[in-house]
Amino acid sequence: MHLPAVVDQLRKIAGRDAVLDRPEDLMLYEYDAGVRKCTPAVVVFPQNTNHVAQIMKLAGAAGFPVVARGAGTGLSGGAIAPEGGVVLAFARMNHILEVDAENMRAIVQPGVVNQQLSDNVAHLGLYFAPDPSSQKACTIGGNVAENSGGPHTLAYGVTVNHVTGLTVVMPSGEVEHFGGKAAESNGYDLTGFYVGSEGTIGIVTEITVRLLRRPERVATLLGIFETVDDGARTVSAITAAGITPAALEMLDGWTLRAVEAACHAGYPLDAGAVLLIELEGLAEQVEEQAEAVREVCLQQKAREVRRAKDENERALLWKGRKNAFAALGRLAPSYYSQDGVVPRTKIPAVLQFIEEVSKKYGLRIGNIFHAGDGNLHPLILFDPRDPAQLEMVQAASTEILERCVSMGGSITGEHGVGLEKRNLMPLLFTADDLDVMLSLHNVFNAGNVLNPGKLFPTTRMCRETTGPSNHPVLAAEGM
Amino acid sequence: MSTTPVSSDAIRELCAICGDENTRERPKGGVYVSPSSVEEVAAVVSFANEQGLSVGPAGGSTERSTAELQTDIVLHLNQLTQVEHYDCGDLTVGVGAGTTIAQLNQLVAADKLMFAGDPPSPERCTVGGLLATASQGPLRHGYGAVRDYCIGIRFVTGSGHRAKGGGRVVKNVAGYDLMKLLIGSYGTLAVITSASFKLFPAPRQTRTYLAEFSSAAEALEFRYRIVRSPLSPMCLELVSPGARKLMRPGMVSDAWVICVRASGSDNVLARYRRELGSAITRELEGDDERHTWQAIQNFPAAPESGDAVSWRPVYPRRIHITAPIRDVGHVIEALDRAASYGYVSVACVGRVGIGHILVTGEEILPEAGHPLHAILDELKGDLKDRLSVRVAGQPNPWPIAPANLTSMRAVKQALDPNNTLRGREVF
Repeated sequence: MHLPAVVDQLRKIAGRDAVLDRPEDLMLYEYDAGVRKCTPAVVVFPQNTNHVAQIMKLAGAAGFPVVARGAGTGLSGGAIAPEGGVVLAFARMNHILEVDAENMRAIVQPGVVNQQLSDNVAHLGLYFAPDPSSQKACTIGGNVAENSGGPHTLAYGVTVNHVTGLTVVMPSGEVEHFGGKAAESNGYDLTGFYVGSEGTIGIVTEITVRLLRRPERVATLLGIFETVDDGARTVSAITAAGITPAALEMLDGWTLRAVEAACHAGYPLDAGAVLLIELEGLAEQVEEQAEAVREVCLQQKAREVRRAKDENERALLWKGRKNAFAALGRLAPSYYSQDGVVPRTKIPAVLQFIEEVSKKYGLRIGNIFHAGDGNLHPLILFDPRDPAQLEMVQAASTEILERCVSMGGSITGEHGVGLEKRNLMPLLFTADDLDVMLSLHNVFNAGNVLNPGKLFPTTRMCRETTGPSNHPVLAAEGM
Repeated sequence: MSTTPVSSDAIRELCAICGDENTRERPKGGVYVSPSSVEEVAAVVSFANEQGLSVGPAGGSTERSTAELQTDIVLHLNQLTQVEHYDCGDLTVGVGAGTTIAQLNQLVAADKLMFAGDPPSPERCTVGGLLATASQGPLRHGYGAVRDYCIGIRFVTGSGHRAKGGGRVVKNVAGYDLMKLLIGSYGTLAVITSASFKLFPAPRQTRTYLAEFSSAAEALEFRYRIVRSPLSPMCLELVSPGARKLMRPGMVSDAWVICVRASGSDNVLARYRRELGSAITRELEGDDERHTWQAIQNFPAAPESGDAVSWRPVYPRRIHITAPIRDVGHVIEALDRAASYGYVSVACVGRVGIGHILVTGEEILPEAGHPLHAILDELKGDLKDRLSVRVAGQPNPWPIAPANLTSMRAVKQALDPNNTLRGREVF
């Protein structure tokens, strides 16, 4: 089917004003928050599950690839369509369908913005725990696809720990309902399996999420250290004291100065590193833990430990953390962010290695990350107009991720694999491991119409399994 | 018992893989093997897959006797007890599937850490069995299910390939989440050979508060009060009068009891006491507290052998029902109706704060059949569609046919295309 015919069919399904095909409109959908770009052929805005089902049936018949997109805040290229691909943008499926306070659940469409859900249930004393830094913009559909995290996942887990049911349009166009409001589903845990599958085996159109009760008290502390090393060692010392903070974030000195210049969050300009530590729960417990954390910080050579006096001060400290990526944008035309993970005891060693990589390539690398769970975010500043710099940035980031894996860690803690890290998957997984994942991909998405070219390496694997027809992903054209 | 006679050639081959001392014929047909390495597990499954023999993985047999497994080969994982990694500073551990929960807790207790899985019979229940049956105990309320703290898994697929999902770090989204698929798949997709977990700091001090009510409805209302309060107890359990009688045969009270276990300093525990208010009739500490939670964790305990009045099956039936929180009351009403016909006697405990009920039942009249049927008959209308019901001790763990059988079969096709693993039992 030629493109004009596809556009025509899509308009019949979703409405005349729900399809974009002019180059100037499509340009807005060629990128996400990462560094890759590719212009889709068409963007369509479905308004209900039935639209998505019809589009998938059309895609199967006409043979065009489909890529789901939330707010485009992803950092791994997951929402970027291949050449000739159709982007399914969920901006119009942005309704909270049900808030069931008694069962502590909400049912939402994928286009609902993460923060919007928490705001909407705040009057009930409830909230949605996953809190990516982009939570003011990112959608819950995107969170489900990438299994997103955020600072508070240290205590509450990532998205998969907060999803109990999904309505999924399968690549065939069939609609499936996995799980529901109960904490467990009948049969295999397909809900859990689909969360984090990066839009490669189905498109989620309704999500049942767990809501949590807002804590009675929150204490936000800022531990100020002379060196990155002291800060990093404090992370394991806090855990060793039997305390699990709700969040435990670290900013190195260079980054916090950049953030302070942009956000005026109140970070000390002459520190080597700061830890942003949040404790939540019962008032008595929080007060005791805050005191214990202060002591641990001081034992680990903290220069000072401050505590936010009120909600305004707390919000300001978090503003600095959550807007850090944007703040660094003032210093260079672009940045490349990675999210490798190491066991938390390896944080001092990996930060030292990142410093060496920075010197080796002559690239400025800032560190602002989820220290409590060892989830790094080295931010490499560069100028994308210089292709040589981009190449260096990618080489530097690969070196960092290789080191994370060699320390027992992972290539991604919350951003997903997408396009960006697909060829690093063999660092973590053997050919047999990847074959198992591929065979699961292929039983659901045999025609490879959904998000082709993502998650699986394009490089040839060591071992072929049962023949090329079983490996449509491998056959997909790279971008 | 075996559906395919296992040839003497096949038995010789299995002896060659696992050694004569780890291989033996089962009295009613079939073969029992106990491999001593992951390589041997893969070789056994690969051989079975080629020969068209079915394989049933087995752990500590806490839910079901291996004698009941109707597969050609019973694959016992008791020898896989290696510690793959452990660093107390990282709060993570990885162990072989044959490690018991008690051994795992012993390993980490020295560092004041705790494994949050507390299935029945922890001294026999293995890590592999816990994962395969998504088993749980009272800690499920405060620490989540095993799907929440299992961070990596290694396994052998139905075609005999070794593979893994996840890793060793607490946060990791690389690749498909194979842990979620294998947890609660009852050995139908792969043989789990080892797994990695997040650990938790062990509580330094705990106390348990008991509140008694004359009806389930009042007890559940009290549960609501706790769920809506700022309290976040480690455990929040409902114990039915029938369950109390099973735990303590001399018990005369007909009260429904809510048990709340909290951890923290004296100050924190005092706050719990104040918040819970006048409903609290007893407080437990020390051995009393430990014994009470052990009884709930092991409910219903396996009977002493030779006891004439004991439960007929050696392996007590455990029916796990998980409902939306609000529906727990409706489930208990259904259990009451099932019992009121006089065919069955039911007893339950449950992590009611998250919607879980663990039921056991005994047929009183011989013609009544399995008490499960009486219970299922009473879970009427759309209530049934909102529940997850699992029974570990019988061939098919899902007595209500899952709504997603087509997708489940697709997953099965990907991981075990020849239906080697428990194939004829479940699918």
